[in-house]
Amino acid sequence: MDKVDKGLMKKLVNGDIADDDVTEMRRMEKKDHERFWTYLGVLQESVSWNEKILMRLNDHLYIVAKGNDRIVKCDCGHELGDYRTNWKLSCDLRVRETQEQVDEVYYPAAAAPDAAWMEIREYFCPGCVAQLAVEVVPPGYPMIFEALPDLDRFYREYMNRPLSDESPEWFQNKTVESVAKIK
Amino acid sequence: MVAVMKEGASLPVEKTLEYKLQQRDELYKTTGHYWGTKSLTLKEQDPIKYERFYSRIQSAVFAAREKARFVAASPGGREMGESVWALTTAEGDTLAMSLGFISHCAAFPVSIKHMIDNQFEENPGINDGDVFGADDPLTSGAPHPGDTYTLVPISVDGEIVAWACSVNHIMEAGAPQAGSWPVFTVDTFMDGFVFPPMKTGENLRQAKWWDNLWMRRTRAGAMNVLDDRMRLAGCSMIHGSIHEIIGEFGVEYYQQACKEIIEESRRMILDNMRSTMVPGEYEGSCFRISMLKGQQQIWEHADKNELIHVHGVLSLDEDSRIVWDTEGSSRWGYHGFNGYPGGSDVALYLCMTTTFAHSCKASAGVNMNVESIYHEGSIYNPDTEFAACANIWAQSMQMMGVAGNAVHRNFFMRGYLEEAFVVDDAWEGVQGSGVLEDGTPYGFTNFEWVGGGAMGAYSFKDGTPTTWAQHTQLCNVGNSEEFEYLIPPLHHLGRKLEPGLCGHGKYRGGIGQSSVHWMKETGQRLGVTRGGSGTALSTHVSLGMNGGYPAPGVLTVTAKNTNLDEIFDAGGDTPRSAGELLEYSKNGKIKGDVTAWKYDPPEQSMGDNDLWANAAGASGGWGDPLERDIASVVEDIRIGQVPSDFAKLMYGVVAMQDEEGVVHLNEDETSAEREKMIARRRSESIPASEWWLKEREKVINKAMREEVLEMYRSSTSFKGYDTHFKSFWQLDEDFEI
Repeated sequence: MDKVDKGLMKKLVNGDIADDDVTEMRRMEKKDHERFWTYLGVLQESVSWNEKILMRLNDHLYIVAKGNDRIVKCDCGHELGDYRTNWKLSCDLRVRETQEQVDEVYYPAAAAPDAAWMEIREYFCPGCVAQLAVEVVPPGYPMIFEALPDLDRFYREYMNRPLSDESPEWFQNKTVESVAKIK
Repeated sequence: MVAVMKEGASLPVEKTLEYKLQQRDELYKTTGHYWGTKSLTLKEQDPIKYERFYSRIQSAVFAAREKARFVAASPGGREMGESVWALTTAEGDTLAMSLGFISHCAAFPVSIKHMIDNQFEENPGINDGDVFGADDPLTSGAPHPGDTYTLVPISVDGEIVAWACSVNHIMEAGAPQAGSWPVFTVDTFMDGFVFPPMKTGENLRQAKWWDNLWMRRTRAGAMNVLDDRMRLAGCSMIHGSIHEIIGEFGVEYYQQACKEIIEESRRMILDNMRSTMVPGEYEGSCFRISMLKGQQQIWEHADKNELIHVHGVLSLDEDSRIVWDTEGSSRWGYHGFNGYPGGSDVALYLCMTTTFAHSCKASAGVNMNVESIYHEGSIYNPDTEFAACANIWAQSMQMMGVAGNAVHRNFFMRGYLEEAFVVDDAWEGVQGSGVLEDGTPYGFTNFEWVGGGAMGAYSFKDGTPTTWAQHTQLCNVGNSEEFEYLIPPLHHLGRKLEPGLCGHGKYRGGIGQSSVHWMKETGQRLGVTRGGSGTALSTHVSLGMNGGYPAPGVLTVTAKNTNLDEIFDAGGDTPRSAGELLEYSKNGKIKGDVTAWKYDPPEQSMGDNDLWANAAGASGGWGDPLERDIASVVEDIRIGQVPSDFAKLMYGVVAMQDEEGVVHLNEDETSAEREKMIARRRSESIPASEWWLKEREKVINKAMREEVLEMYRSSTSFKGYDTHFKSFWQLDEDFEI
């Protein structure tokens, strides 16, 4: 196999791909460069909205171009703001703080994280309530910013298709500006 | 047999190691190419000869392993992947490696640089066929003294042109706490038999005093001497082979080809990075809890609990090389979980070698494409020469997992889902010492579960159990008898997968595994501890993958004064896993003092019919558990991998297994349960902005346990993390936590 076509990509994304096909993909001597475009095509067809997907972040989340902005959008259509801000700040959040709450998600209980040290944060999409992320951290730990991709550089240097709205402003972490507004 | 050559007259400067090291660095710095090798001339002129040359040196290191390992005493070196042989350049850059734990290519250049910087060429001299040994984390790049190195220089007319190198994980390291991963150490003087690079033999023979040191300074002297022989036997084979190869190809071709090999793989690895990654910044973390309070009372300064924080941000530099910055990771402490940069890289390279050096010659090309930043004073770069490093692996495998997950997140973003899985590797070991009935003392390590653990989930399928070991291609957990044979009082009473032990998700992680060790004929004394990775107090890494839960840490269960004899006489069932041991104790099927340890237990004195059980090797899940296919949950219940009660709590699937093993799904109740769980998500969550305000108050009021506060003090003592922490919580510059 030297290339993954759209049909196979769709199966891979949907989780109904045959093991043999996955093995063939792993045996590719070199990864197919155009995979990214095939991937975006499959993803774009799978969502009900029209904004152009620039990058997949998560099972449900995408960075999309919307007007002059680049925002994070859930496949349900809910928007989680500028991609340069940690999208978790736009989520709903449940914190498991007691051992009883922790033991609901780990088994056996004797191997579950200790609530005296750690809390479990579950991040939900405010729109569809999909669980988007889980953090197991001590109290007071800053939210983990999982991924801040440098889209301009990726599209220009890695994919040879520069984005039309390139700007040095895009690769900046705006999370602090957002929390300042909450304060 | 090739004769070992004696050192001749003084060498021209350009043939000394010191000059070569300086030239290598200068040329790489000024050209960006290894040794300034801009074109692969030999490869282009005669590719067949070039590849034949490489196949010869690669065969030499492979053959060394396949023969030498049968000299070994310890099963880690012989049966598992806990060893490796390599050929390096004169400066220590790897050219070819055998199967085994190949990330130790990060350590060889540290030892060799230490010898060069300390003028070993003059004293004690570096001659063809000399034997050097090392295991000191500060000076040799060893992660911990349990990883022991042998290095043999190869010279032509007095000029060092290569080193044959080997490393294996030994059974016992000679620390106050017996085993090879001591936890209860305070400083390097409690790490065991620690030795910086030193000449231990000549003419491919070890000195007699060297054997005596192993015999006197470790508790498994005979095994360690045999392991030492194993390493040297392999290095001797490589030494002989390389002389033959040089005789065939000529020394000039040899030296130029070596440069081209590394430059070629540097380019291919960089290309692999560019082909699969997305430039940007990727944050992650993990925690390791050190519970020493009350257990280090002789050394008051070490008698405390510590929450060790590992923080990392992975990015790509302007050339697309990976940069791994660990700023914010805790300061080093008076415990055994520290490491120095060389050993830290050995952990980091676990991921980097297997992920990016898969399609090229396995050489030092990876070293030039990964920049690790370990801040001075941190747990990875202590600003003291005396830090204890006996068990860096107890947290560095987690660190590697954080970096590995960042890389795999990139694969997911680029669409290479077939390569993107959750990286966890909660390894486990049992170690200790004893005195047999006849008065014979011994020490041991059982690292059966280092042989493999579960593979994490993908975005399209579950992880698989016991199939994967990040540190080696030679995943093998099938050698329990080897350890039973070598550790007389420990017998496997049970060994199985531990139901439910994984990070759950839309696709769950591979299920972890468990052993129950039964103590029999314990002689005059038997003391047991664990030497494993992170404990069940926290998860292996902090961040689950895309809504899945990260893998749990390791659980230890001990049982003393049991009624096993009664159970045996009655033909009753005995527990096969840590979970079963707890269950049997709870329902009275086994009697005795049963304790579940979420942290490293202090040494346990064990007697006949006592039990030591562990549950480890679990891996993390991917995606929202409520999106898990109901049929998959039912199947998990049917095969005993997820208990039905827990399946309801975690997945909202209501199903019962009857006495014949048939699982009956209640579809109506399952729909209702899942709806209820969705509703609970809505009712029990709050907007993140609201949470932020409340959590900020906690931080300002320091409303958390002292160890957590101390962790933040440690991490914010590094300027960059201080800014990160204070800016996220909008704290004043002079705020002190």
